[in-house]
Amino acid sequence: MNCEWVKENVTLYVYDELADDARHEVEQHAHRCIDCARELKTVREFHQQMNVLPQLEVTPNLLASARMELQEALETTEQKRNWTRLAFDPMHWLRQMRFSPALAAVLLMVGFGGGMGTMYRMAKSGPVAPNGGTPNQQTQEASISGIRNIVQQPGSNQVQIQYDKTFPEQVSGSIDDPHIQQLLLYAARNNYNSGLRMDSIDLLKDKPQDDRVREALIFALRYDSNPGVRLKAEEGLASFVKQDIRVRNAMLEALLNDNNPGVRAGALHALEPVKTDTSVRQALQQLAQEDPSQFVRTESRRLLASMPQID
Amino acid sequence: MPADAVAVPSDGWKSAKMGQSGSQINSRRGHMVGQSLSRVNDAELIREAQRGNRQAFEDLVRQYDHAVLRLALHLTGSEQDAKDIYQDAFLKAYRNLGSFRFECSFYTWIYRIVTNLCLDHLRKRQVRKEDAPVVTDSSGEEYSLIDQVADDRSGASPERDLMRRELGARIAKALEKLTPRERMVFEMKHYQGLKLRTIGDALNTTEETAKNTLFRATQKLRAALADVR
Repeated sequence: MNCEWVKENVTLYVYDELADDARHEVEQHAHRCIDCARELKTVREFHQQMNVLPQLEVTPNLLASARMELQEALETTEQKRNWTRLAFDPMHWLRQMRFSPALAAVLLMVGFGGGMGTMYRMAKSGPVAPNGGTPNQQTQEASISGIRNIVQQPGSNQVQIQYDKTFPEQVSGSIDDPHIQQLLLYAARNNYNSGLRMDSIDLLKDKPQDDRVREALIFALRYDSNPGVRLKAEEGLASFVKQDIRVRNAMLEALLNDNNPGVRAGALHALEPVKTDTSVRQALQQLAQEDPSQFVRTESRRLLASMPQID
Repeated sequence: MPADAVAVPSDGWKSAKMGQSGSQINSRRGHMVGQSLSRVNDAELIREAQRGNRQAFEDLVRQYDHAVLRLALHLTGSEQDAKDIYQDAFLKAYRNLGSFRFECSFYTWIYRIVTNLCLDHLRKRQVRKEDAPVVTDSSGEEYSLIDQVADDRSGASPERDLMRRELGARIAKALEKLTPRERMVFEMKHYQGLKLRTIGDALNTTEETAKNTLFRATQKLRAALADVR
């Protein structure tokens, strides 16, 4: 181990970037070599000097203000859609349209224009529907969801247009039907309408023994923006608090983090069968002191008081 | 945020109800709650956020935003500039989340975005050739950095106080003379405590290059401060 190597690595040593064996070598060498010990001392002093520079620290107000401004900006920000990676999500697209009336109007015009283009030849013949039905029947049965491609045949007035259509569908069946359940699970996560999400959760909450349903309920309890939906999901999960650790954890999160006191109170009651669990007890102790809702504080104290004394 | 730290679980924007900052609330959470929150798989959160779930994105952001704001504040010296970088970084992350393919950690990905924005800021600042090391608070009030290097210890001598203030000013001036990349690497290593490997990733380069940049930065700074006792 020579002085040149040590002097090259003393900065990394002071920043704790050396491997354990290299660090040991530097220390041993500095004990024996006055020059390298002096270099090490100089680098350490430089390190301390740089800390004299005053540093502004992030205050809670600054952080809170930054978060709020970000939240506001996110309201009007859209994600770039990566079509090659994600499948087309019609519900998300519809949600976007709800907030973009101008874009919706443009798409309607393009869709209508494209639809008309498929019905008429560019030469002067009458309207021809691609599937042989009347044009009016075609536009009534389906709505254009997007134009994929427009190709003009070279040297002619012929145009070929590829487009997508969406058809409204309806299905009826028992909630035990897997197809119905699949649609309900989709609606629980993806629908922009909280009423529809609540309807689907309301139906699904009677089937929490199904693993996929339980996952959807846990997701709704954790992430849904509507407290009514979260309450429904909580109701459905309550009976699984004892046997499923994921349900217990989701209830604990709701108990401590949910901004709705009704959801927190619901979580309190749901966790009563497992109140002696260490994590639940700790959460109850914290809530008894700090929850902003008096009802939640009182209920937490009541549950704590009803517990057997544990050393 | 140290490179090898486990991302601290967030409790989401909902904790604003307590009227306190997220970091204070997190510090008082029960041990089991912290573990239960950490069971929310980051990959799951990212996928949910990629599907347009804003709450999932906000939960994800909460794990990193204090560290990002701190880095931006140290570099810019201005609360408003720091908030601008913070907002630009997370909005960019949100807009481009669809292109995140788990080829690196989300931590690295976020730091790449933030680092690039900070480098842009440093480059613009260099072009404007700002000399005086001043900071601006959120009300727009400017004050000299030198005034902040006060020694509040009782019995501190005015001479020592003056020396510290002069040293502070010289350090600030010496830092301004580094190139943006050197400044960035030094800031992330010395003041943020990140590993060189993380710094290399954030700058989209190798650990070795980050190491060499750190050497150059420290050599320049040591030379600038060589005559200081």
